[in-house]
Amino acid sequence: MQPITIEERGKAFACPKKQEVIDRQRLPVRYHVEDFDVEDRPRRFLQAFAAVLKHTNYRLALDHYVRVSAKCARCSVACQVYQATGDPQDVPCFRSSLLLSVYRRHFTVAGILRGRLLGDPGLTDEQIQQMAASFYNCTACRRCYFECPMGVDHGLVTHLGRYVLSEIGIAPRALVVSTREQLIGKTGNTSAIPVPALLDTLAFLTESMQEELGVDVPFPIDQDGAEYLFLPAVSDFMMEADTLMGNGAVFRATGDSWTIGTGYYDGINYGLFYSDQVLERVVKKIHAEAERLHVKKILIGECGHASRSAKYFYPAFCEGRNGRPVINIMEYTHQAWKQGRLKLRPNTIAEPVTYHDPCNISRPGWILEQPRDLLKAICANYVEMTPNRRDNICCGGGGGTVSIDEIRPYRTMVGGRAKAEQISATGAKYCVAPCANCKKQLRELVEDNHIDCQIVGLHDLLYKAIIFD
Amino acid sequence: MESWVQFGRGPLFAVAFSLMLLGIFRILLLTAIGIVEAYRRSWDRIINWKDVRLQTASWLFPVARLWRKRPLYSTVSVLFHAGLILVPLFSAAHVLLWRRAVGFAWPAIPQRLADVLTILTLAAGAGLLLGRAVPAVSRKLSGAQEYFWPVLLLAPFATGFTCSHATLSPRAYQELMLLHVYSADLVMVLIPFSKIAHCVLAPISQVVTAVAWKFPPGAGDRVAATLGYADLPTWMPKSRLTKSAVPAAAAPAPAKPAVPKPVNQEVTVP
Repeated sequence: MQPITIEERGKAFACPKKQEVIDRQRLPVRYHVEDFDVEDRPRRFLQAFAAVLKHTNYRLALDHYVRVSAKCARCSVACQVYQATGDPQDVPCFRSSLLLSVYRRHFTVAGILRGRLLGDPGLTDEQIQQMAASFYNCTACRRCYFECPMGVDHGLVTHLGRYVLSEIGIAPRALVVSTREQLIGKTGNTSAIPVPALLDTLAFLTESMQEELGVDVPFPIDQDGAEYLFLPAVSDFMMEADTLMGNGAVFRATGDSWTIGTGYYDGINYGLFYSDQVLERVVKKIHAEAERLHVKKILIGECGHASRSAKYFYPAFCEGRNGRPVINIMEYTHQAWKQGRLKLRPNTIAEPVTYHDPCNISRPGWILEQPRDLLKAICANYVEMTPNRRDNICCGGGGGTVSIDEIRPYRTMVGGRAKAEQISATGAKYCVAPCANCKKQLRELVEDNHIDCQIVGLHDLLYKAIIFD
Repeated sequence: MESWVQFGRGPLFAVAFSLMLLGIFRILLLTAIGIVEAYRRSWDRIINWKDVRLQTASWLFPVARLWRKRPLYSTVSVLFHAGLILVPLFSAAHVLLWRRAVGFAWPAIPQRLADVLTILTLAAGAGLLLGRAVPAVSRKLSGAQEYFWPVLLLAPFATGFTCSHATLSPRAYQELMLLHVYSADLVMVLIPFSKIAHCVLAPISQVVTAVAWKFPPGAGDRVAATLGYADLPTWMPKSRLTKSAVPAAAAPAPAKPAVPKPVNQEVTVP
């Protein structure tokens, strides 16, 4: 892949903010930040860092990473951002070293002694500004983790860096505003969809499917004691009607009991991107709804980060190892198809189809083959991207950056550059991206890069191929 | 001079070697305690051990990984590490020294193999140093430590090889031997306190990372409470982080306290 030209660089890194805002906030970053206290920032950063280290498990990882990091720069081959910019500051190891050096200087005995001896004043405001810019250039896709011989997880370091920054007020406004609506707003979800609108949408979808298929496909609401509580990314209710119709049709075909709860129907969890406190609060909302409706399992829709934050943090914050299982809708559909409870018409899709692995579900090796099996069952011409599966390349909108609309040029020119080349190389007419974030990013990506490819969800295509008894 | 060499590979070696073992024991113990503590603090005890084992094995024996990405660099790096581990432990002269000192030892590798490995290590080390010094990326990442270590690690190899092969005057031999022994002692002492600790820590990295992703419940709220913001989480609309909302308890020396005390008011009135 060729790095971006100087001209493209100028466009991608152009700052959309007014100079006076940057001066007032003393923060030359491209994303909007709500006004916050800028006085005495280094001291408050260190306070927040100390508090985080005291109550969490990050100290273990930081201690270890500080000791083992060999600075070999091997991770540079894995990072799509570095591959696009060619800027040494975008190498994952360098990004992590921004935070690790603060840790070493202020929280290890050797660093404190060395600082005293050499008269090093310690953390500066410039370092905080650099971290604020750098940690949101990263898409937290964790691809570099597999290239680090020392096993340093730069995704974890980015996660922690953003968390500490958020505690002193530096977090993208887009994420904070959505979280505010989700946690204390009237509607209780990130897209601010009220319950009547939700019910309207679902009734409309049922009606359309009655017309298209001649089958009654209900969306059960508040069914007490249902098997599955269904939580898609809430934006699906507005933007991804096809995906939802596919989800409903699958349940109509299998006949399992499922429900959408009007108490809480949002799978999105931006806490995974910037704050552990938010992460926990949102996961607990899922728990409360599951308790209210006495469901047996939690089913997350087509969304990468929603699936990961529920699967890996629901046990951590709510019920431990023996709690309700969390599964993704693709796992459910695949299982039903394997058991013969869901029948699919072969060769329904004639055009070439390719599959994009969302980082959050593919990197841990969780969902890799299920969607591929399903696609091969319904597509006449399935083509694979390279690299794929656990080694896939991020769409360029990971880590919450896709929600930050003001950095779209950066996302489509830098973050998604590798992905755009990958998609073009397959020549596919449909690119299946079973993730709300990936879908939004990839649509903007193919639009800005003029690629003739339609971005769809897995259930959009399955919907066309389901055979009802 | 000879007595200095004897001191270096006798008592000093014993001290350096013990310090190394103790230091390694310390960091391994600290890491182990950290892992157990973190694991117990979390409710989520689900760890994909199979994946952890696979990842670890694939880095300890990077057979499959070698050719996938950056093949030249990977090969050179693996050769460098293989030489670093094998030659000091298994060269005939070292094995002999062990046998003399403690009465038992392990089989040595043939001298020819040791020679080849030494030359490869030296060449690979020089290559790695070049690879670090020339490209802009690795220069940006590197501090003094990154240049110091390859040189220090290669010093015992270069001197040891010269001593056992070149025809040297006794004085030159002694000087080189002195360098050989003391540089090796220095390496051993520094291992636990530097990035070379990865020789024992790298195999547990995957476990550390897996456990570090297990977040303890309630931690986020406790962090906010510690900072004095229990009632003002980051998502509140009138954020604590604007100047007017900073509670007095959270900021010991706030520029403008949220609730001005009477004393302050008196000061500001005139």
